[in-house]
Amino acid sequence: MIVAEHVHKSFGKLHVLKDVSLTVEQGEVVVIIGPSGSGKSTFLRCLNYLETIDKGYITVGGQPVGKRKLPDGRIVDDNRKNIYRLRSQIGMVFQRFNLFPHQTALQNVMEGPVTVSKIPVAEARARAEALLAKVGLADKSHAYPIQLSGGQQQRVAIARALAMQPKVMLFDEPTSALDPELVGEVLAVIKDLARDGMTMVVVTHEMGFAREVADKVVFMDNGQILEESPPHVIFNRPAHPRTREFLSKIL
Amino acid sequence: MNGRDFRALKYLMLLTGCKTLRIGPIDIEFLLVILPVLLKGALITIELTVLAIFFGTIIGLFVALMKISRFKILAAIGSFYTWVIRGIPLLVQLFILYYGLAQYLDIQLSPKAAAILGLSICGGAYIAEIIRAGIQSIDKGQMEAALSLGMSYAQAMRRVILPQAYRRLLPPMGNEFIALMKDTSLVSVITMVELMRSGILLNTTYFRSMEIYLTVGVIYLIMTTFFICIINRLEKRLAISDGE
Ligand SMILES: Nc1ncnc2c1ncn2[C@@H]1O[C@H](COP(=O)(O)OP(=O)(O)O)[C@@H](O)[C@H]1O
Ligand SMILES: [Mg+2]
Repeated sequence: MIVAEHVHKSFGKLHVLKDVSLTVEQGEVVVIIGPSGSGKSTFLRCLNYLETIDKGYITVGGQPVGKRKLPDGRIVDDNRKNIYRLRSQIGMVFQRFNLFPHQTALQNVMEGPVTVSKIPVAEARARAEALLAKVGLADKSHAYPIQLSGGQQQRVAIARALAMQPKVMLFDEPTSALDPELVGEVLAVIKDLARDGMTMVVVTHEMGFAREVADKVVFMDNGQILEESPPHVIFNRPAHPRTREFLSKIL
Repeated sequence: MNGRDFRALKYLMLLTGCKTLRIGPIDIEFLLVILPVLLKGALITIELTVLAIFFGTIIGLFVALMKISRFKILAAIGSFYTWVIRGIPLLVQLFILYYGLAQYLDIQLSPKAAAILGLSICGGAYIAEIIRAGIQSIDKGQMEAALSLGMSYAQAMRRVILPQAYRRLLPPMGNEFIALMKDTSLVSVITMVELMRSGILLNTTYFRSMEIYLTVGVIYLIMTTFFICIINRLEKRLAISDGE
């Protein structure tokens, strides 16, 4: 579903991603862990072209991200329409929710289907109401983000991403901005999605969640993927000394 | 007050030994003479203000979008515009538009056209700065969230960024609108007959500067106060619909 090959990315002189390669199969849940500043967010953002990459190749659902192959085999920058369509098929959930504060929960969830997919408002509303119910917020449809707790806001944000019926969901530290007692409700929603077979890439520091849900845990450090294993392997017998060091600090 | 009432008033004044009825330095009888002329001028001032705000806001929005554009040339043009227009007094710009163009390019604008053009161009530069600051004050995560749903840059601006910026823009925009209203008095120098020029013309007939210009000032004060009230109303309404 996602294939990233030899991805490089620099911000000016800062080499943030150094030859990152990762494959995510359909229905797989991949958890990315690693110290702050190791390039986890940047990598996620490259997957839906919020950042451009300097070298390498990424495809999502078989579609090259931001690139297009011409009939003569040359690879060129894709046109904007295709990039927008690709992004609409990739859901993204942010650490700081990024709900639209001038819209109610329901309007937030309807925004993508109505503005981007141009589906009829009544249909979008029905879809949004169903999704809010799915994340346990049927009674909060008409609340503005400011009236919701962090956990509730993040669940609305997940519903907003799901409303586009994405093939893949990307989560960038979805619980890091939450009070500890609100982490569980958000993780429960993500676990539900995993059970439904959603393909997901989740950056998180919640090791219990990773152990339980991940098919594969990826350890990133200093712009490189140092280790990539099933959770029981990486948590019990980490192969790389840096992984061991990181896990001993965090567990 | 009709003619008969007025005669009655005069009679009352004679009886009480009072020569004229005054508000401060203003003789009411004279006020009644100049007021119709000044109010007509005030209507023109309102017309100029509304048009300048309308065109100025359109110009301002475009220039603001240019200034934050990732296309360097557009950004440079936008910055050049605000730099030049905000750095030259409006009075000088009006002279260039009205007298300069006529002499140099044989383009004789009507006083009204020159006035609206000058006020819009100038207002546009200040409004552009206000809108730019408003847009840039919106958290970057908002644009990213919009783009990640598959919106185009234009859709994200229209649906997500501008509606939020708009609320923050109201107070500084209100100030700018009031400044524009007061600046319309400058177009009196290019023979545009609005409130200020009506006063000047009256004074060449009557030579009663204090009464005439004080009345002009009070009319401006009433108009700006009215404007402030409208803006305050709008702000309150938005705050409610914001759920805040
Ligand atoms: N837009 C940007 N411009 C410049 N540097 C950036 C930008 N985004 C991230 N960085 C830098 O790239 C590095 C990796 O950041 P990030 O991907 O956010 O790491 P992580 O999510 O693992 O904490 C950090 O050193 C960060 O300061
Ligand atoms: Mg991060």
